[in-house]
Parts: sequence; structure tokens; C-alpha cells
Amino acid sequence: MNNAPLLETLTRRLAECPADFLAEPRLGKQGLVQVDAVVSDLMRALGGAALTTEQAAPFRVTNAKQYRNWLSVTLIACWLFSDATFSGGDGHQVYQFLLSQLRELAAVTPAPKFVTDPDRREELARLGLKALDLRPAGETPEQAQDRLATLNSAERQRVIAAARAAEERARQIREALAKKEAEEAADKWTRE
Amino acid sequence: MLKDEKRFPGLSEDSRQLLQHLREHPRAPRYTATCGHRLTPAYLERVHTYEQSLVGQTVSWPVGGYPPWLPSFVAECFREVPFYRGYGAPPIQFTDIPTTDRSDLSREIWSFIPDSQALDDLIVYATSGTTGHPLVIPSHPVVSGCYTPLVKAALTGHGVTLTAGRGQVGCILVGYQRHAYTYPSVTPQQDETGHLKLNLHPDDWRNPDDRAAFLDDCAPEIYTGDPLAFAELMRLPLTTRPKALVSTAMMLLPGLCAQLTAHFACPVVSLYSMNESGPIAVAQPQAAGTYQFLQPRLFVEILNAEGRPCAPGERGEVTLTGGLNHYLPLLRYRTNDYAALEWQGATPYLSNLEGRPPVLYYAVNGQPISTLDVTRTLQPFALPQFILRQRADHSLLLTLPPHSLDLNAVRSALFTLFGSAQMITTEETQSFTEKVIQYQSDLHAPNL
Repeated sequence: MNNAPLLETLTRRLAECPADFLAEPRLGKQGLVQVDAVVSDLMRALGGAALTTEQAAPFRVTNAKQYRNWLSVTLIACWLFSDATFSGGDGHQVYQFLLSQLRELAAVTPAPKFVTDPDRREELARLGLKALDLRPAGETPEQAQDRLATLNSAERQRVIAAARAAEERARQIREALAKKEAEEAADKWTRE
Repeated sequence: MLKDEKRFPGLSEDSRQLLQHLREHPRAPRYTATCGHRLTPAYLERVHTYEQSLVGQTVSWPVGGYPPWLPSFVAECFREVPFYRGYGAPPIQFTDIPTTDRSDLSREIWSFIPDSQALDDLIVYATSGTTGHPLVIPSHPVVSGCYTPLVKAALTGHGVTLTAGRGQVGCILVGYQRHAYTYPSVTPQQDETGHLKLNLHPDDWRNPDDRAAFLDDCAPEIYTGDPLAFAELMRLPLTTRPKALVSTAMMLLPGLCAQLTAHFACPVVSLYSMNESGPIAVAQPQAAGTYQFLQPRLFVEILNAEGRPCAPGERGEVTLTGGLNHYLPLLRYRTNDYAALEWQGATPYLSNLEGRPPVLYYAVNGQPISTLDVTRTLQPFALPQFILRQRADHSLLLTLPPHSLDLNAVRSALFTLFGSAQMITTEETQSFTEKVIQYQSDLHAPNL
């Protein structure tokens, strides 16, 4: 495995993510791409075994409202890990990364951002490297860690601020709904 | 409590007198509530604009296609509405957008209100529905006001034009239930014509005979209401006749429709409407069993059990996108009602609509009990889902999710409503089926 990959190679790869990896993930009877099959192919490409039924199960979920974005990000991550940089990498570590860290990322960032937004591309590339104990060429471990922390920190600040605003708005709405429920509504000509 | 100035902004002297007359009428019911239109001049202007947008418009989209306003509406939902933002990025294909249902609204209704909507004039309607998920619907006076032009549009297709104005009563909304909110109001979007919400249950009146006398004195241009209320209305010795009856809330069965038409000698118009969306479609007079869409910005799909669009003519679940309630933008909302979609040219219409069947329960003493009374009785218990069925032997079966709270209190409330000798069995179920009919009865409801 290449111990000093060029970061730009990976971010460019993300920017050029093909349509197949941006297509709708299969959720139940909806969507196109069977994500468990793509992950399984990745495991084999890394030199490991295909996913067992049990290992594939987390990627065969049906609740689109809950899992669609994470599965979409998973497809993009599979494209990233298919780069020669990761050839011979530890499939188990990649699998765990998809299930844990990637879920956290997907909870706050829409999937296409990891293709279109330079910072998010870099964040995903760096996290992918870190998952396999790699770092970009020309960077010391401290530099790599600092840069990832900076990216994470900026994003975290944005996410925290957005989450606070959303929580405050939700609180205001809940209060308004409770208050207004006890009040008169407005007259209308029919009732359902 | 609101004052009349806020309840009826811009009230004219004519309307003030009409309201006073309706409030103080010697044979008026014992009103149980106060309620007004709450339309400021700016809000009223928006209702008028909406009414103008309905004139001469035909709701249309091609087979397998979409209306032109849909892409921007979807983009706005993903940008502005917290619940839809949680899906991630908008998919390329509209049919890849996840569907929602009443349980989503029931669980976190606040996350459906767009970020840009102010909360100052938010109003709330509580609803039980028939699908087992009680919920509150956020709304706005403009949304309620727009019901009037939609009802008028529905009537136009049946050859009925409303002309009543100030000093007259245009519309009476009738119900028949043990407890109901009742009040007089006026409708500025229809020249301040009078509007009343009344309960025909005899207990709401000082004297049951006052019902016919008061209604005759009001002589409304139309009645709106549900089939149970219309069945009672038909039993009253009215001497006046409306221009039309507009039936909502429950399925109007053909037998009762024919009786009402003959009795009142006027069109009986069946409106398919729901709290979440407002009026959706109206039964077409020239094609029995078909419904014409009313709202220009409401897109309707029919989905099969797998969530895929059905072919024209194939029955499935009515699924809504859009609507007039800007506090509750619907994106692929599964209604739990079933119908088929067919086309006449570029104009889609509903056929084989299976809505909510009317259900009437009976107390131990034989008194009829409306489903709305049951809803009101069970509302304090915040049950996430339930099914209440009255068996042929008049006993009640209440089905609840596991570990429902306040089981004894729920039973006690039902005893109060039905009578202390009522037989009540409760059972728990692990999972409710997809199409839950909340209110069920094995008894035959007369005149329905």
C-alpha cells in the first residue's frame, strides 16, 4: 500500500465521482444502487472477502427517511476507497469506518457536498486516509492531524450553530403550537 | 381569549348587526365557542388573489408527468423544511423522494413548518382522523379563508353560484355530536355573509324544536357538513331549502345522497377534503364516482403498496404533494385513502375513491354517539394509536399499542360517554396494520 498518497489525487477523484456512485441508493423497493453489493465489491477489491449476509444487513435497510443520505455518502466513500491508494488496505477498518464515522458525517451533511464542496471533499479524503492509518504525502502526523482538526472544527462550528438554531426554532414552534392549541382557530366553511 | 376586533378585523356595521342578531336570536342554540375569520385587510387580499387564481383554471398534468410548479416546490421543501432536509439532497427523480404519512406528522409536526414562516398568526386545528394518529395541524387564517373560494369552485361545477352577501346567512356548517364547538361568524371573502357552525344534537338547544325554526330563520344559501349531520337535517321539519348541500369528512353513500337530493331538491356535492391539505377534489355531477381536482398547486399520485406509482386506472393510495397550507407543505404525503387516477386529455381525475366510511356508535341507553365525541373523550390521553370497534352485541373493543398509559382512566372516560353498564374489552397489539380504520362498527347505522 502507498504510504504517502497525494491528497489532491483523492480530492480530484471525489470531484470526478461518476454518476453511478451518485445514483439513488436502493432502499426497499425504491432506488437503483444496491449499496451492500457495492460495499461487498469494495471489500474484495481491497483484497478481502465479500460481505456475509450479516455484514451486508446494515446496508440493506428500507427506511429512506432515516438512511438515504448515509447510503448516498457510503456510495461516494466506496468510490474513494476504490482508488489504488487504498489497495491492500484493511477491509475491516474500512467497513467500520462506513458504519460509524461516515454515519456521523452523513447526519449533518448532504451527500453531494462531498463531491461539490472542496472542504468536504478534503475532509472525507483525510478521514478515509486516517481510517487506514495513512496520511497525505508531505505531511507530518501532527500536520495531518491539525489540518483535519481545522476542517472538522470549522464544520463542527457550522453544524453546532445550525443545530442550535434548529433547536431554538423547534422550541419556539412547539411552544407556539401548545399555546395556540388552547386558543381559537379561524372560521372555515367546512370541517374534515 | 381574543376580542372581536382581532376575531373579526374590519367588521362593518352591517356585519356587527348580523352577528348580534345571530348571537341573541331567541331560538339560537347555546353557542359553545367564539370564533372569527381573523382576516386582516392584507390577509383578505391574499384570499381574494387565491380566488382569482382559481377562475378558469384547470388542474392538469400529463400521464406520467408533473405540473410545472413542482420542481421549485420540491427544492423549497428541501431548503426550508427541517423534516425534508433530513432526507439529504433532493433526488433527481421525484419518485425517489421518500413518502410521508400521518405518523410522521403526529410524531414531529413542528419539523414540517418551513423556516421562513412567522409564528405570530399561526393557528392550530386538532384532528383525530381515522388512521389512528391524532395530530395538530398548523395553519393560518388565510388558509382557512381559502376554503370559501374552493367550496365555491366545487359548487360551480354543479351549476350553483352563491350570491348571498352582507345581512344574509351564506353557509351553515352542521354537525351531529354530543359536544361540538358552535358559533356564529361572518365571511368577508363573500361580502361578509353570515356563517354559522352548529350542532344539530338536541342537547345543544334550549328546545329541540328551535333547531328547525332557527335554521329556517337563517335560511342559509348552502349547508356544509358530514353525512351524519345531513341525515339529522333531513329529519327536521324545515320549510326553507338551500341551493346545495356540501358533504365532507366522511364518505357520502349513494343511498343517502339520493335521499338528500330528493328531500332538499338541490345538488348534494361530495367534497374530498382532509385537514392536512384542505379540499382536494369534488365529485363530478356528470360522471358518477369520479372526482375533479380543485387546487391548482396540489399534485396527486396514486401509489401501490411498494410505493411505486400505479398505472392510470389502477387503484392505490392517494398521495399528495403541495397544497394551500404554507405552514404544512406536503411532499408525497400518503393519505390512507384509496382511489385510481385517470385522465381526460391532460386533465387528471380520481375514480373509485374509497374514503372514510361514516361510523355511528350507540350508548347503553340507545343514544347515538359520534366518532367526534369519542375523539374528544380520548384526547386527554395522548394515545399514539387506537382502534375502537362496536360489535354487533353493542360491546366495545378498544385496541391499543402495548404498554399504553392510563388504561383505567381511558376505560373510565368511555364509561362516562357510553354509560356505566357498557361492556368494554381492551386488547393490545404489537403492530397496527398499514391501513388502520380507527373507528369501526358492526352495527348498521340507519339512514346512511
